[in-house]
Amino acid sequence: MTTPALATGPTARPAVPTRRPTFGDVLRSEWIKLASLPSAVLALVGILVVGLGGSLFLGATLESSGVPSTPSLERTIGDVTIPMVVLGQIVAGILGVMSVGAEYSSGSIQTTLMAVPTRLRVLWAKAIVQFLAVTGTALVTVFGAWAATYPFYAKHGLEAPLSGPGVLVALLGAAAYLGMCAVVGVGIGMLVRSTTVGAILIFAATLLGPILASALPYSLISRIARVVLLGNAGDTMARVESPGGPFLDIWSGHISTAAGWLIVSLWVVLALAAGAIALQNRDA
Amino acid sequence: MIRVQTLTKQYGRKTAVDGIDFTIAPGTVTGFLGPNGAGKSTTMRMIMGLDRPTSGTATVNGRAYRDLTAPLHEVGALLDARAAHRGRSAYKHLLALAATHRIPTARVHEVIGLAGLESVAHKRVGGFSLGMGQRLGIAAALLGDPQTVILDEPVNGLDPEGILWIRALLRQLAAESRTVMLSSHLMSEMTQTADHLIVIGRGAILADGPMHEVISGATRTVVRVRTRDVNGLSAAVLFSDVAADAPVEVVVSSAADGAVEIEGLTAEQVAGAAAAAGVVLFELTTREGSLEEAYLSLTADAAEYRAMTAAVKGAAR
Repeated sequence: MTTPALATGPTARPAVPTRRPTFGDVLRSEWIKLASLPSAVLALVGILVVGLGGSLFLGATLESSGVPSTPSLERTIGDVTIPMVVLGQIVAGILGVMSVGAEYSSGSIQTTLMAVPTRLRVLWAKAIVQFLAVTGTALVTVFGAWAATYPFYAKHGLEAPLSGPGVLVALLGAAAYLGMCAVVGVGIGMLVRSTTVGAILIFAATLLGPILASALPYSLISRIARVVLLGNAGDTMARVESPGGPFLDIWSGHISTAAGWLIVSLWVVLALAAGAIALQNRDA
Repeated sequence: MIRVQTLTKQYGRKTAVDGIDFTIAPGTVTGFLGPNGAGKSTTMRMIMGLDRPTSGTATVNGRAYRDLTAPLHEVGALLDARAAHRGRSAYKHLLALAATHRIPTARVHEVIGLAGLESVAHKRVGGFSLGMGQRLGIAAALLGDPQTVILDEPVNGLDPEGILWIRALLRQLAAESRTVMLSSHLMSEMTQTADHLIVIGRGAILADGPMHEVISGATRTVVRVRTRDVNGLSAAVLFSDVAADAPVEVVVSSAADGAVEIEGLTAEQVAGAAAAAGVVLFELTTREGSLEEAYLSLTADAAEYRAMTAAVKGAAR
C-alpha cells in the first residue's frame, strides 16, 4: 500500500511493510508479557508448590490423622486435588485479573491497544495464554501430587489408580478449573480495570462466597448461591463423583461433575462477554 | 498525514474537544500547543484509536487508526512515558510490542541503541527515571519505523543532552518527509523544533499555521527607540510620508522604562523619519514577539487552570 500521502514529500520513503499482523503474533506478544513478569512466574510456581506441598502433607500425615477403614477414591483424589484447588483458584484468578489490571494501572494498555487496535484480539490472546500457562502448571501439579502421594495410599490399599472410575476426569478437571479461573480473571479484569477490585471479586466468587453461602440460614437464595458460585462448582470438577447422583439438585446443594463443568463454563463465557463488551465500547 | 475533521469529544456534559479541524502534512514538525485541559491529549488519543470520538473523524494516511493494516509501521506514538509495566524489563517490553508485528529482534536492539538505553535495557522499568521512561517510549514509538510519529510531551524529564537528541531526531524525521506531531509546554523547545503550529484552547483551534505567521499574528512587532525629544519623534514619525503609506495604523507609545515603542513601521523607516526631522536617537531596535508571548496572548482567555490571572495577562502584553 503506497497511499498518495506517502509520496507527497520531497523524498518519498519506501512503502511500509504491509503484512497484516495475525492473531498468532498477538498470542506470542501476550506470551512474552506473561513470561517476562517475575510476579506472574512466581504465582505459577506458587500454585505448584502449594498444590504439591499440600498433597504431600496430607499423604505423609495419613497415618497420624487416622487411616480410613474403607478405600475411597473420592477421599484419596480429594487429598490430591483439593490442596491445589483451594489456594490455586484464587492465585489463578488473580493472575488473570493482574494480566489486565496491571496494564491499566501502568498505562501500558495504551501501548498494547495501539499495536493491536482490533481490541478483542487482545482479550482472546490474554485468555488463551492465561489458560494454557495456568492449566499447564496445574496439570504438572496434580499429576505430580498424584504420583508423589501414591505410595502413601498404596501402603494402606487406598490408592487411586488413574484407571479408577472418575480419577482421570477429576485430575484433569482440577487443572482445567484453575485455567478457567484465570480466564474468568481476565474477563473480570477487563470489566473492572483494577487488580485490587478484580482480586476481591475473584476471592468472593471462589472462596468467600461459598463460605458465606454455607453459613447463611437456609433459604432459596442461599441454596441457589451455593450451586452457582464459582468455587463450589469448581470443587466438584476436581472430585471423584459418587455414582448415581442427580445432575443438579439445588435443594440438597448437589452438583454433579458435568454440572460443575457447565457452571464454571458459564462463568467463563459471562466474564469474557462482559470483558469483551467493556473493552470494545469504553475508551482505553 | 494526519487529518482531523470536526472532531468532537464530550465527557458527559463537558466538551473536551469541540469540532476541531486540522491537517498535519508530512515533512514538517507540527507543534501542538495548549493549556492544561485544552484537549491536546484527548485529541491525540482519538487519533490513536484509544478514545472514541463523540462525532467527527481522525485519520492517519486517509484511514481511521483501527483500520490501518499494520499500525506500528504507519504510526508510532508516545502518549505516556510511564506506559510500561514496572516489573518488566525495557527489552522485554519492546520485545512483546515487536512480536505483535513480527518486527525482528535486531530492530528492537536498534531502537534501544537509538534511544541510548543499552545500559538499562535489561533492568526493570520500575526503576527508571522519567527521562529514561521517555526514552523507552520514544524507542517504542520508532520500533516499526513509522511514517507518522506522535509525541506527547516527549522532552519532560529529559536532561539537556536528551533534549538536544530529541530535537535532532525530530528534525531528521521531518527531513525524511515523515509526519511529526509534537506537543510540549516548553516554548523555547518548540521554537527550535517545530515549523508549524496548532494552538488549541478549551477544545477549539486558536491558531493553525507556520510558526512565524502564528507568532506575528498574535504578537506586536515594535521598534524600540530612545530619544530625549519624545514629542519631536512622535510628530516626526506620525506625520511622516512612510506613516501615511503604511498598511496599518502607526501607533507610538511609551514603554515603562522610558523608551518609545513604535508599531507599524520598520526600524529603517523610523530612523529615516527621525533623521529627516533632526531628532537624535540613541537606541533603535526591532523587538519581535516570541512564541511564548504569542501563546500566552492566544490562550489568555482559554486557560482552564490559571493561578495568577493578572500576572499571566501582564506577561502577555
